[in-house]
Amino acid sequence: MAIVKTYKILLIEDDKFLIKLYSEKLVREGFEVSMAISGEEGLKKIERERPDLILLDIILPQKNGFDILSEVKLNPNTNSIPVIMLTNLGQDADIKTGMDLGAADYLIKTDFSINDLPERIRAVLAKHSL
Amino acid sequence: MNMVPTGGQSRISQHAITETTSVISHQLKTPLSAIKSSLEVVLSGDLGVLGKDQQEYMQLALDNVKKMITLVKDLLDASKIEEGRMQLVLEKVDPVKVAQGVIKDLSPFAGAKNTEIEFQAEEGVPQIQMDVIKMQQVFNNLLFNAIKYSRGKGQIMFSVKKDGDKVLFACRDNGIGIADSDKDKMFGKFYRSPRVSILAPDGSGLGLYISKAIIELSGGKIWFESEVDKGTTFYFTLPIQ
Repeated sequence: MAIVKTYKILLIEDDKFLIKLYSEKLVREGFEVSMAISGEEGLKKIERERPDLILLDIILPQKNGFDILSEVKLNPNTNSIPVIMLTNLGQDADIKTGMDLGAADYLIKTDFSINDLPERIRAVLAKHSL
Repeated sequence: MNMVPTGGQSRISQHAITETTSVISHQLKTPLSAIKSSLEVVLSGDLGVLGKDQQEYMQLALDNVKKMITLVKDLLDASKIEEGRMQLVLEKVDPVKVAQGVIKDLSPFAGAKNTEIEFQAEEGVPQIQMDVIKMQQVFNNLLFNAIKYSRGKGQIMFSVKKDGDKVLFACRDNGIGIADSDKDKMFGKFYRSPRVSILAPDGSGLGLYISKAIIELSGGKIWFESEVDKGTTFYFTLPIQ
């Protein structure tokens, strides 16, 4: 029997309602989800849990998403973990900053459907495992 | 006694207004994205199958949240334009491909409005420097208007050609046209013709204002020709560097 790997997603987001929406959606789709509600907590969980993928908001307490992304990509222990930015900052300059810092994808909360989130995650994971 | 010139005061108030708009716009996006995502989850059937009426009401709510998101984004863009903070991220791209992409995305909406979009690109249109996301917004605004204000069987022609040291774009429709009394107000902020408000009550009146600002910031020009009940053609140029 084939063993299907369960991917672990770390969601770093400070809006409790969005945490509930995104995490429940991903659990229904068969992902394991861990959550952090601040930048500092997020960094600790990345180091400790080594998730398969990180969903990262930008405006966060303590440490913003760009700083976290930068630290993840500079750390040899974590730089291979793909990061998808999930934010309401949708200006061109924000997108460019995120992609230049090494984000695998950049999703603007108001512009994409939550129903497409699992597919976007799977696409990044598939590309990453090549 | 220190005298504050009136002009200075007015500039300060204007700055305060646009800064407030910018902050409010950002703050509004968080609850709006939460409402939008909730409705999408309910409509997807993840939480149980909806009845026909429930589906219809949820869809109506979702459509209206999307309209509000567009309005918030337009307000944010308008405040940036007023403050001179709108910036371009330029890259060298094929304008024909960018236009084709937008037309493809709008095809379902055009189909639903019984409107056909024809696309014509002349040979030899070169790659040009443009802010792709913002120019997509311009193409989208013009085409969306052309579709919205079409009547009966809509026919839209979008064309791209090289014109000396510029690339010339044209978006022609056979819609309701623009009255002479409205012509000098079309690129103004929040202006909506009374004729248009009846046909499409949901517009923000900011689309053309934002489009003009993006095109001029890119070194181009925008103008139009129109005849009531015959149609309108919007033209705009972008420089070839």
